[in-house]
Amino acid sequence: MSTAMNFGAKTFTPRPPEKGAFPLDHFGECKAFKEKFMKCLRDNSFDNSMCRLQSKHYLECRMDHQLMTKEPLAKLGFRDLMDPPPNQSDRDSKP
Amino acid sequence: MLLPLLLRQAASCRAAPRRLLHHQAQHDPRRLLHHQAQHDPRRLLHHQAQHDFLRRRLPPRLHAQSRNRKSKSEQQRDEWSTRNKTVLTYIAAAGVGMIGLSYAAVPLYRLYCQASGLGGTAVAGHDVDQVETMTPVKERIIKITFNADRHASMQWNFKPQQTEIFVVPGETALAFYRAKNPTDKPIIGISTYNVVPFEAGQYFNKIQCFCFEEQRLNPHEEVDMPVFFYIDPEFDEDPRMARVDTITLSYTFFEAKEGQNLPLPGYSYN
Repeated sequence: MSTAMNFGAKTFTPRPPEKGAFPLDHFGECKAFKEKFMKCLRDNSFDNSMCRLQSKHYLECRMDHQLMTKEPLAKLGFRDLMDPPPNQSDRDSKP
Repeated sequence: MLLPLLLRQAASCRAAPRRLLHHQAQHDPRRLLHHQAQHDPRRLLHHQAQHDFLRRRLPPRLHAQSRNRKSKSEQQRDEWSTRNKTVLTYIAAAGVGMIGLSYAAVPLYRLYCQASGLGGTAVAGHDVDQVETMTPVKERIIKITFNADRHASMQWNFKPQQTEIFVVPGETALAFYRAKNPTDKPIIGISTYNVVPFEAGQYFNKIQCFCFEEQRLNPHEEVDMPVFFYIDPEFDEDPRMARVDTITLSYTFFEAKEGQNLPLPGYSYN
């Protein structure tokens, strides 16, 4: 931790988060999604790459219940988990 | 240098005050040069001679003798005094320069630290679009361990819900902490965080978390607190981070008094 009297020693400066703070989930509206995510983590020996779908679901739940500002999930780094947009799939289905 | 000459001419020509003012008012470099060119050297000398005559002086012979004797030591003294003055001016200028440099050093050093990232200071210029376009570096697996602390007088129960998580740079990750208020009155907490090792702190970017803002917990309430973060993909390319495999994220909760406005850290660096 950054203690005083350490003149010249390396200190850590905390940075505020990019999108601010999460509002607290007082009513546990997204608790189910959180439990799914935690279970996935425990099953996969805490490997985050395997549980990205569950974390995406959790953030979607937060956005639905106004516990997070709505944003396209691609901006949150879930571009590879996104479904293709509807007009593209229509074009694919056309002969 | 030219102005005194002009004034002397004006004075010796017995110009009326109005004309003097007129001359002064006309004083811009081009006009002055033109004015000078008009007076050829003979007229100048004539003016000079008149001016000398007008001035009160000692009889020439005596004056010449004393002038020679006096002038040598006087000249030497003058020389020394001008030299002293020059040296003093240089020293004074150096002193003022040093003071100015020490004042300028504060923002300059801050800029240097931001650019080089020494001492774990925030590297400026993390744009939001990076999250969208970054690609995960799948070969480099980093273990993130979580630590939860609270101030001694803070009565919340605060702990992480996972002890560690394995991430790769360039991939967003989610982690949870749990906080419970076991008392019978609402408590407002505010938290800060720390990242160890310090140099890795500049690559640790939080998209959203629960820090630096007052969080209110009602009596006997328990909440899940998520942290959404990612490690900058440039972490893999930094030679100083080559042997860093574990990063520890530590949160500490303090009790906040009602209506207290805490300054947000790091805004001056943004």
